[in-house]
Amino acid sequence: MHERLSFYVKRDSLIHCLNPLTKLTLVLAFVWVAFLTPYYWTPHLEILFGIIPLSFVGKVARSYLNAAVRIILPAASFLFIMQGLFQPIGSEAFFLFWFLHPTRESVMFAFANATRIFVMVSSFTLFLLTTHPSELMSDLTRRGIPGQFAYVIISTLQILPQMQAKAQTIISAQRSRGLDTESSYLKRASALFPLVGPLVFGSLVEVEERAIAIEARGFTSTHVKTSLHDVPDTSLDKAVRWFFIALALIALALRIWLS
Amino acid sequence: MSIINLQNITYKYPLTDSPALQNINLEVNEGEFIAVIGPNGAGKSTLCYTIAGFVPHFFKGEITGLVEVAGNESSKSSLHEWVLNVGLAFQNPFNQISGAKYTVFEEIAFGLENIGIPRDEMKSRVEDALKLTGISNLADRSPYSLSGGQQQRVALTSILVMHPKVLVLDEPTSQMDPIGTREVFGVIRKLSEKGMTVVMVEHKVEWIAEFADKVIALHNGSILLEGKPQEVLTSDLLTDKGFGISRYTSTAREAKELNLWKQKNLPVTLDEAVEGFS
Amino acid sequence: MLNHIKKDFNTMTWVLIPVAIAINIAIGEIVVLLKLPVYLDSIGTVLVGVICGPWAGAVTGALSNTIWGFAIDPNALPWWPVAFFIGYMAGRMAIWGFFKSWWKVIVTGFVVAITAAIISTPIAVYLYGGITASGSSFITAYLLQTGQGVFQAVFSTSFLVEPVDKITTSMLAFAIVQGLSKRFIARFPRPENVEMEGGANQTQLYIAVGVVVVLVLFAAFMLRNILGG
Repeated sequence: MHERLSFYVKRDSLIHCLNPLTKLTLVLAFVWVAFLTPYYWTPHLEILFGIIPLSFVGKVARSYLNAAVRIILPAASFLFIMQGLFQPIGSEAFFLFWFLHPTRESVMFAFANATRIFVMVSSFTLFLLTTHPSELMSDLTRRGIPGQFAYVIISTLQILPQMQAKAQTIISAQRSRGLDTESSYLKRASALFPLVGPLVFGSLVEVEERAIAIEARGFTSTHVKTSLHDVPDTSLDKAVRWFFIALALIALALRIWLS
Repeated sequence: MSIINLQNITYKYPLTDSPALQNINLEVNEGEFIAVIGPNGAGKSTLCYTIAGFVPHFFKGEITGLVEVAGNESSKSSLHEWVLNVGLAFQNPFNQISGAKYTVFEEIAFGLENIGIPRDEMKSRVEDALKLTGISNLADRSPYSLSGGQQQRVALTSILVMHPKVLVLDEPTSQMDPIGTREVFGVIRKLSEKGMTVVMVEHKVEWIAEFADKVIALHNGSILLEGKPQEVLTSDLLTDKGFGISRYTSTAREAKELNLWKQKNLPVTLDEAVEGFS
Repeated sequence: MLNHIKKDFNTMTWVLIPVAIAINIAIGEIVVLLKLPVYLDSIGTVLVGVICGPWAGAVTGALSNTIWGFAIDPNALPWWPVAFFIGYMAGRMAIWGFFKSWWKVIVTGFVVAITAAIISTPIAVYLYGGITASGSSFITAYLLQTGQGVFQAVFSTSFLVEPVDKITTSMLAFAIVQGLSKRFIARFPRPENVEMEGGANQTQLYIAVGVVVVLVLFAAFMLRNILGG
């Protein structure tokens, strides 16, 4: 049904070696600059000279471009079309069809917005491609996020593919018993119940035993939690972080100066 | 010196009328292997949860009596302290996977991370535990890619790594195929031989007869019989109350009525049956 | 205050939340597959809000939205406050006793829908200028054409779309709770929220389902009229 949930691709690269917080700073800086600077071409520069080269440095270029074309581009394009056609700015419309209303202003607004969203999602994708969830969670827990949050996030990431596989099985089984997924609203609405029931109750039943199992492993212990894996934070990390914070501040200054 | 001490335990789950356990008195010595048998609803799981502290801390409900393990009282401890004394594993191996870790090694270390064990000690404890249960070769695998028997051994290892004083096992092989069953029993036997105190709920009577020091038969929340495997497992009282017994026992019992079984005691295991019939 | 938040979260809560998020996403995807004019991607969120508490519901919603945004459709990301408040309000309504019978659940669904509409409107206006990446924006665009102000158009759209979705969501969550054993629910922080009041029987269920079907047909009818006129 849907793409793999764990984006992480194991590689031996410079970016993989960076501390997760560093990479997050990088992402946030990209997003900040894209949204803050008033020029239309900033997002494009970021993609051409920032994100794509970085994906090569991280040796995940193919995965990134794959995701960009299959997920990000369609999403950004859909937004572009919707806003280009409907955004109520500008007066002179290119054409009037029903109530579609594209103007030069709306198209430009839509374009700017879409490219910004593209940058945002791309940088997060790059982050997810080069950071293992365990590593991210270990680091965040070390920096103070409660261990239970880390548990919830990773557990969700592991349960989701299992749930989707279960859903697939149930859908195939119901289809082979004559369930029609093509007919009228009413039929399709009532098709919901035989699909949803087994899926939901099957997963809920496990909750109690799993809770007992993790209690048995000290989940509610009041000790300060330790971590099996060491996530290093080197001076390179700190340098990179400061560099990108500086970039973000420059963007802010530029924005203030220009307005 | 008894390591587990239950005195006059009566327990009722929330929202129920009748008690799940009635006046249970039980003493287990260090290093003993106790088997618990009984029909469905007899209170076997409840007994396990009581020794492991989940009754009453997790399940709430009303409890009277004393639960003592290694000198500590359950009523005076919190659950997260108690689990350090008593390890618990149960039937479904899949539900015992935490869901928080990507490899078996990390999964086993999960408990140690929670209780704040330093990294170096953590690594050596996990490696020792893996060797003990014989699954070092699975260390880098995903817990979800394993067979039932392998998952159950991972669950056992995850508990053992916490160094509990007592191990409570609630039907650990019920959902396993014969290979898995043998793998799990192999580990349990090894642990018992090394001196671990084990309380295990089991249906496979032949296994109990071979390894248990003592058998407890539960019925309707009370202890019906208590004693050596040979005495308890061949007792007529069991068949009267609807317990399952070893097929060798039932065969020999019928043979006895036809005067074909000449021994004094009924057999429980295949070996005993073969010996007796020859 | 902090203790009130903590109460929502026991071990069962922490184990339930990932399952609830997975339920949100799985059902949300099935609905897309069946091409129904609803989202139904908050059933798990409402469930957690009701049996664990408002803050647990809020966390479930926010996390669920975020993960959906990264894994399925990035356009969902800015809407996490909406999901946050859906979980929160469901929990609040349950504490106030509005999850104990079918008609009360419908009221909860309606309140949650209005909350969702209120929270989503500023996001739609300030972040997107009114037109979002959702199919319902067609309605907004039409309303803008008729001269309505942006805030009004966006809120009207939500007001049309949300109640059907959220009432159905709440009812499905209630049906799930009815299907779980009392013993199981007792393990969660707030089992008292779903103690059924007398009379919550089959007849009431059929009436409630009937109401929902009428609402769906009504909405579809209205939609066709608005767009056709």
